[in-house]
Amino acid sequence: MSSASAWETPSTRTELIENLVSGVDRYNPSNVGILEDYLYHQIRSEEYDCLANLAILKLYQFNPDLYNPDVVINILVKALTALPFPDFNLCISLLDERPVASNPDEPDPLPSLLPVLQSLHNLLQQCRFPAFWALYRSEDAEPLRDNYTIEVAGFENAIREVVVRAVKAAFQRISSQRLSTYLDFSDEELPTFVEALGWTIDASTGVVSIPPNADNQIESTVVQETIQLPQLVKVIAHAQAS
Amino acid sequence: MAQQRTAVWEADLDEDFHDVDLNLAIGSYGQNGHYDDAQPRIDEATLIAVQQQVAQQAALAQVPDPVKRFIVHFHQAVLENNLSEISVAYESGWNRLTEKFYAKTEWPEAEVIAPLVNDDQIFLILYRELYYRHVYSRIQPDVDDRFHSYENSCELFNYLLNSDGPVPLELPEQWLWDIIDEFIYQFQSFCVWRSKVKSKSEEELVLLADSSQAWSSYSVLNVLYSLIQKSKINEHIIALQEGKSQEEIAAIVGEYGTRPLYRMLGYFSVIGLLRVHSLLGDFTLALKVMENVELNQKSPFTRVTACHVTTYYYVGFCYLMLRRYPDAIRTFVSVLNFILRMRQYHTRSYQYDQINKTADRMYALFAICTALFPTRVDDNISNVVKERYGEQIGKMSRGDEGIPAFEELFLYACPKFISANPPPYEDPELLQSYVEMSVTEPAQRHLSLFLSDVHAQVPVPTLRSFLKLYTSLNATKLANFLDADEEEMVQQLMVMKQASRRTSRVDNGGKGLLAGETISTSDLDFVIDENMVHIAESTVGRRYAGWFIRNTEHAQRVLDTLKNSPLPVAPKPAQSAQPKADAAAPAAGAPKPAGQKVAWGGVKVA
Repeated sequence: MSSASAWETPSTRTELIENLVSGVDRYNPSNVGILEDYLYHQIRSEEYDCLANLAILKLYQFNPDLYNPDVVINILVKALTALPFPDFNLCISLLDERPVASNPDEPDPLPSLLPVLQSLHNLLQQCRFPAFWALYRSEDAEPLRDNYTIEVAGFENAIREVVVRAVKAAFQRISSQRLSTYLDFSDEELPTFVEALGWTIDASTGVVSIPPNADNQIESTVVQETIQLPQLVKVIAHAQAS
Repeated sequence: MAQQRTAVWEADLDEDFHDVDLNLAIGSYGQNGHYDDAQPRIDEATLIAVQQQVAQQAALAQVPDPVKRFIVHFHQAVLENNLSEISVAYESGWNRLTEKFYAKTEWPEAEVIAPLVNDDQIFLILYRELYYRHVYSRIQPDVDDRFHSYENSCELFNYLLNSDGPVPLELPEQWLWDIIDEFIYQFQSFCVWRSKVKSKSEEELVLLADSSQAWSSYSVLNVLYSLIQKSKINEHIIALQEGKSQEEIAAIVGEYGTRPLYRMLGYFSVIGLLRVHSLLGDFTLALKVMENVELNQKSPFTRVTACHVTTYYYVGFCYLMLRRYPDAIRTFVSVLNFILRMRQYHTRSYQYDQINKTADRMYALFAICTALFPTRVDDNISNVVKERYGEQIGKMSRGDEGIPAFEELFLYACPKFISANPPPYEDPELLQSYVEMSVTEPAQRHLSLFLSDVHAQVPVPTLRSFLKLYTSLNATKLANFLDADEEEMVQQLMVMKQASRRTSRVDNGGKGLLAGETISTSDLDFVIDENMVHIAESTVGRRYAGWFIRNTEHAQRVLDTLKNSPLPVAPKPAQSAQPKADAAAPAAGAPKPAGQKVAWGGVKVA
């Protein structure tokens, strides 16, 4: 996730979707179905395409009649897994205030779930991973779990990816006890997961070592000034001319 | 393919234009019967028309002579497509007469001055464009002004886009920018006005219930996209980047795109889209529509300063909202330096105030960015920022206490956000419930999203100030110092680590403003080894080159000027020296007015 181009154009995006995302057809309300199908495809196949999902929210923004709360919630659930990138808030930005549709047969689930989603997002954003899992497993989040995240293939592992990104940037070694609370794993589950990442676990001390990467190697440097030739072009040209 | 796509939307656009009541906008002048004594019966409509005509003649008689002369002259210049005369009339004549005669009142209505311009409908549309812009900027527009200015804009764009072939009109670039700029401003102003349900009169409620199409987001986007597609501006920019010849470009962009009017309107519409999407809170799309535009000061499209400044303001703001602080900082530094340099040339312009206001907001945004992402920055700019927002900068580095300072600066400097849809005016019941539920203003919504990010980063400055004191430190000990729970503190350290890594554009990181790589730019880095925090600090050696280069160049200019000035007294032996000095001048690259050469010399910190 170091390059923004994978975010802008995921390799899994089809040409049809690419045309919708990048062309004026993205404003055509009759295309919302295609994008919504694509969202459900992402949900089933552990893919993620932020820009395509933002295009759905854009259509909802301009055409309130299209609004489908289930789709919005699923988009937000997917966006949670993109942290530390700001996708979640970018999605929320597009949700305009709307008068509550008073249809008693089909109550809108978003108003009640949005605060839960936002709390989950805040905890994750603040790297308060144990608190995230506690809230996620709590009664408050039950409607979210039972109706939405259960359908999202690999949701919990995607959240663990968020954790892994944070941990491997900040740690060289971490106690397995601490890591288990971040990943919400029991002592038995942890070793398999950790080894799959290529991390090693010391059986006697239970300390997990994380291989070196660009972020967990630190070095004191003194940045010295370098002068590029183009900076001096005018001075030299002038000296030559006169 | 592109052509097919447009078709759907052009159809919509046509519909919008058909909705416009032409009679309403064009007025009744000259369309109705003449007053005639011999006519046996005067029906009521004719009578009203006659009365109107008489009233308009009386009104025309009231118009001061200099204004009449100005309008006739202005009309003539437009007819002849005389760009320099149009510019003079547009930039100075209009403003001068506004100060003199119409500082607090409207200009004469288009119907009144129509006889002066032979009822030239195109000129009258342009005149109304100026008329309404004046109403918006000097006088509070009423509900009729808001709808009529929309209708007039539609007529103007309809004329430009739906005539047979490109229209033979030419207008100064500045005016073309102002047309797009004002169109979006009026759209934004309408949306804000529309969202305030409580203050509407009965009449206004009825009007709003009937006309949900006026100033709709779709209609505004339609205009902008149509102009972009007609002018083929994106293809044009790509062709320029590929170094195609003038002829090749002409073949690519076609009969519309070769005309300056369409080309510039197309380019300004791209910037317009950037702005509209930002106002609607879609920061990703805002940057995406700009993907072909290269941000630099050499592009042939940057001659209109106001456009240039607006572009950077919105791009910088979008980066801020995408939490790409390094990119936001770079964008602001670049344009603020430009504005600082421009100041010496640009004080006369009536847009100068506007540019200064935008610059001030960018300084505020810059202060926010550097508070969230401390990094070595351009000295010129950071000095100005410290001067203006020193107090807030101090507060922003103080954790939770600093939140109000972020809030203050954000609300001051953010664009005037709008919501895409009107309150449900067409349904009185829904409207009632809409009034009762407390709707958060769009700016407040975006503020709270932004603050949620700031909030997550709150512990960072404190941690940073402690870590700076050590090279390694036990986490338990650090937690004790901070009087914090150890586990929570370790989690905060991870936040700090993430905050020091941001996506940023890199030199060869692909095309478009959304491209970028993750970079680390914090001067303070750390890593946790089990429970021990190791800290490394990077320092930057002092930079001298920029200073020396700038001053060397300055000295060279001074020398050139000296060499070129005539010697005070010319005694005989000195004569031989004179031509020599003259000869040196062209060789030295013709001394330009001081200041101009500094242009490139900001010496960016790499």
